[in-house]
Amino acid sequence: MLLFLSSWRHLLRHPWQFGLSVLGVALGVSVVLAIDLTNASALRSFELSVESVSGRATHQILGSSGNLPESLYAQLRRDHGFRQTAPALEGYVGLPLRPGQAFQLLGVDPFAEAPFRSYLRQLSTDSTGAFTEFLTRPDALVMSAATARELSLEVGDPLEVRIGSRVETLRLVGTITLEDEFSRLALKNLLITDISAAQRLLEMPGALSRVDVLIEGPAALEHVKRLQKVLPEGVQLEPVASRVESGAKMTEAFQINLTALSLLALVVGMFLIYNTMTFSVVQRYALLGRLRAVGVTRQQVFRLVLGEAVIVGLLGTLLGLAGGIGLSQELVRLVTQTINDLYFVLNVNAVELSPWSLSKGIGLGMGATLLVVLPPALEASGISPRTVLMRSATEESHRRLQQYAALGGTVLFLVGVGVLQVPTTDLLISYFGLFSLLIGAALVTPACTGWIMSGLRPLVQQVFGVFGALGVRGVQAELSRTGVAIAALMIAVASSIGLQVMVGSFRNTVYQWLGSQLWADIYVSPPSLVANRSDQFLEDELIEALAQTPGVQHVTRLRGLDVEVDFGKLRLIAMNLPEEGYASYRFKESLDGTPWKGFTEKSHLVISEPLAFRTGLQPGDTLELKTPAGPQGFLITGIFHDYASERGFGIISRTRYEQFWDDPRSNSAAYYLQPGQDANQALEAMGATLNRLGRTANAENQGIQDLVIRSNVQLREQSLAIFDRTFAITGVLQLLVAGVAFIGVLSALMALQLERQRELGVMRATGITPGQLWGLITGQCSLMGLVAGVLAMPVGVMLAVVLIYVVNQRSFGWTFPTVVSGGTLLQGLLIAVGAAVLAGLYPAWKMSRTPPALALREE
Amino acid sequence: MHLKTMLWLWGTLALLLASCEKQTITQVDAPLQVAEALGGGSAEGYARAVEVRPFQFPLDHGPHPEFRNEWWYFTGNLSTASGRRFGYQFTLFRTALAPLDPRPNQTAWEQNQVFMGHFALTDVASGKFHFAERFSRDALGLSGAQAQPFQVWLEDWNVSGDGSRRELPMRLVAEEGPVRMELDLIAEKPMVLQGNQGLSQKGGEAGNASYYYSYTRLKASGSVTVEGETLPVNGSSWMDREWSTSALESGQAGWDWFALQLSDGSELMYYQLRLEDGRPDRTSAGVRVFPEGGTTKLSWEDVELTPLGFWESPHTGARYPSGWRLQSRDGSVDLQIQPVLKDQELRVTVHYWEGAVDIQGTASGKPVSGQGYVELTGYTPASLLGKR
Repeated sequence: MLLFLSSWRHLLRHPWQFGLSVLGVALGVSVVLAIDLTNASALRSFELSVESVSGRATHQILGSSGNLPESLYAQLRRDHGFRQTAPALEGYVGLPLRPGQAFQLLGVDPFAEAPFRSYLRQLSTDSTGAFTEFLTRPDALVMSAATARELSLEVGDPLEVRIGSRVETLRLVGTITLEDEFSRLALKNLLITDISAAQRLLEMPGALSRVDVLIEGPAALEHVKRLQKVLPEGVQLEPVASRVESGAKMTEAFQINLTALSLLALVVGMFLIYNTMTFSVVQRYALLGRLRAVGVTRQQVFRLVLGEAVIVGLLGTLLGLAGGIGLSQELVRLVTQTINDLYFVLNVNAVELSPWSLSKGIGLGMGATLLVVLPPALEASGISPRTVLMRSATEESHRRLQQYAALGGTVLFLVGVGVLQVPTTDLLISYFGLFSLLIGAALVTPACTGWIMSGLRPLVQQVFGVFGALGVRGVQAELSRTGVAIAALMIAVASSIGLQVMVGSFRNTVYQWLGSQLWADIYVSPPSLVANRSDQFLEDELIEALAQTPGVQHVTRLRGLDVEVDFGKLRLIAMNLPEEGYASYRFKESLDGTPWKGFTEKSHLVISEPLAFRTGLQPGDTLELKTPAGPQGFLITGIFHDYASERGFGIISRTRYEQFWDDPRSNSAAYYLQPGQDANQALEAMGATLNRLGRTANAENQGIQDLVIRSNVQLREQSLAIFDRTFAITGVLQLLVAGVAFIGVLSALMALQLERQRELGVMRATGITPGQLWGLITGQCSLMGLVAGVLAMPVGVMLAVVLIYVVNQRSFGWTFPTVVSGGTLLQGLLIAVGAAVLAGLYPAWKMSRTPPALALREE
Repeated sequence: MHLKTMLWLWGTLALLLASCEKQTITQVDAPLQVAEALGGGSAEGYARAVEVRPFQFPLDHGPHPEFRNEWWYFTGNLSTASGRRFGYQFTLFRTALAPLDPRPNQTAWEQNQVFMGHFALTDVASGKFHFAERFSRDALGLSGAQAQPFQVWLEDWNVSGDGSRRELPMRLVAEEGPVRMELDLIAEKPMVLQGNQGLSQKGGEAGNASYYYSYTRLKASGSVTVEGETLPVNGSSWMDREWSTSALESGQAGWDWFALQLSDGSELMYYQLRLEDGRPDRTSAGVRVFPEGGTTKLSWEDVELTPLGFWESPHTGARYPSGWRLQSRDGSVDLQIQPVLKDQELRVTVHYWEGAVDIQGTASGKPVSGQGYVELTGYTPASLLGKR
């Protein structure tokens, strides 16, 4: 009890120290938890999206060019007796009511639905006659009651829907009220129509996106085989689970990276807890020694320190949980945006509080706190009653500890370097290496600080005189208290530098790449609700009309689609690139150095770097594409650098495409101007042409106009905007890590300076002015910040190199050169020094105002 | 007299999305749908059965999409050479969700004609009753009906034949899971025009009627597949053909319908509509078909029907009469009717009992035996008609 009181008093007497260490834990936990919740929510929402559109289906029949002929469905049911099947046609539409937001349109046949999407049965019970209207009105539409409420729609209301460049008015004939939250989320932003209406709206008469299949029971395998046998060439049967799986896989690298970044915050947090707890032990050497002298056992002292850590950990974790949940609300928006930009449309963006994520947060918070408190607790219990008052002895033992730490750090660093050499695509291994590297560097930091101080002392003494030397000596002498804080600050700043260098290098590369990649002068496409992908078509007449614009030399039509290959789906672009365009592709590898030779006439394929990385395909390989005309081998003639798609894609000639796919449609068109023509003039002329045709166009991809017409300059700017949006989450995390470090440094240094009250009181008593004292404290702090900042530079650059050449390459298959800007490094240094100086302000102010006599009074 | 079944079922079409486990929801809301289906205004745009019309064959074997409802209704008793007994019901219903639209369709799915099918097989030896239901719209060839060559189908359920021949030879194929039936049917007796030369008045108002003809005795031969075994079977079938737009007047609790084939070569069809208090409705009616093909109409006053026992469904809790005595007031007919299996309850979109029966008794003073089919509706506790 007495021990507990002593402990309690200690905490109470150092509220700043106590509060800040709680905050350190809280921030660490909340960042990790927020990222975990966000990742879990994104994945769950993907599952829900899949579930809402595929219902209870176990398998899906998919076509090689994205669509299926509806006659296949009829044959399966009528001629082959596969009755547990349901047709579906999916597409994305926009609502003028909600510009920029994508809504999924799902066309179904209610007669085949019952086994699949159970929610449709709700329709009939909610509104009389809705079912008949749903089937008989060509403009009938249903949605969940929640979505209708959100859009302020009542049954019977019209709703304008934008499909590509057209606006159609549909009518809400019924709503679906769902009891459970998951289904409600799943149906969010889902517009359901009859299959007939969907075909008409999406202008896909005769087509289905897929046929859902329910195969259950003991004979399932046999059933699958029988079904596969009757499917024509170019049509696949895929388990639905693989759709969820492939979605999860697609975003796996992205999510692991986020998790790793969040763990960085926790690592920094751990350093800080260690620092605080060590410090609080050091602070109480005398007290603990006396306690030992009066008969308190080692175990009791150990428990005392551990108990304090439990309080800090508990409070910090609880605060962290609350903070994490709050933070995840914001992060989920950013992450969903990124996933929408890069991978697939998520309808759902609500945070789901999974108990698993929460318990992970609690475990990490408490675990990390208890883990790092072990050394100080052991140290405290090891205090012998005799050595209590010998401060020098403890500093001495710390110096030895420092040497061990430096040695261990070096070993760990080398282990990290070694691990990173292991050729693997496993991101966890890569991150293990990265963290070893970082922690190794952190362990070496206190020793490094000592060396730097020794080296600096003569110089400082010359410049700043005895006060300067005093400051340097102070830092050196107090390393047991400051070393860890400096290391934590170093890691935080290094992470910040590393991330910034990585993103900056990437952006720089993308910028240059965009410059060469955008070979044509003007790009025309229907507004796409999903960045990076266009799922709408451009009419041929329109492409032709725009080609008549004065100054246009020629036009290239592009067709993008997903094609089935042995290892899954492959994004393919079919176009006949004019020879001027060849130069815009920078090839990493190619067949005989002539990737484009005979490209238009032959079955050749060039693939992007991420695709090559993902699949291991090499120039000279032949890839079999499943086309409606049967499987066709395409010879890979080159691998080009590309940063547009993380999944990667391939390019084949349009001539070949039309031959095998029998599809003359285009998703977008690119126009070349005659040399010397002004793109803006041509843009204006095209706008006028469109006006004459009664169409509207804009350079902004907002989904509210007919067409998007952009010059390559505009397109480049918008592409960079998407890039920046993608990395917004990284920026936020970087800030959070810096925040954790800042709090930690603040707490460590502040406590340190406050602890020096007596020493500083002596100085005041010997005639040092408050101003000089202020200068001393600030100088010392900036010295520590400077050390952290300087050490962070090489570590940060090293981190960036690992992120770029190991993590990025292994996650996405992108390679790009590292570009280190002086600004980034300087910024890191300023953060470090700024944080340290800021941390010294309050103690300096307080000390300079405290009368020496008061400061000198013993506790 | 399957008209009410038809309307009742179609009335709940809107709820057909409900799968079996949600049956209660279906039936609670069903009256609204029936009211809609039967509402006077909703007949607008459809043809009505107002007057006697000359039937034209083979054309009239095919669909009449200008009318709202139509069906091809087959029931029959079959047995193997060794005497293993089966009963079957096979029905294809057509309904129009909206009157015919002359505008061209933009997609193949844009079809207002919808088909529903019921298929049930009673396996007396194993005591099993198999039943299935399906729906489809008349699109992409998934379901449809045509006169020449005669064919009505719902996916792989199919009945086709030569409508130009008086005997109307037909082939009937139905398969659901492990149960399969293939039958060749051929009329042994001429077609019977029901009601007034085929115009069957169902309500007081003109137009509340249907066009209705039957083949009361069709020779059946083919095979039945159950439990992995394909068995050759022979027997006798009954076919009802009816189309209409509106017919019923509300107030009935349900009906009991009998299609009986007697060993003396005669048939008897009788339907008794039950009022809520259990009394027979005055619109109950039937027909007696003599061996040579002559017919006598039966009115509600001509027939007395007495249940001999009851069977309570363990699945739905419905209490159905099980076994009847059917007597004509003039004493010429006195029949004891017993189901070959107690449980022949179809639990599809709407629950009803329809099953094979055995007959013993006297007709025209001579002892007769026979086989037939009985349909019982409105007995489910929560069912639509029971509630009203």
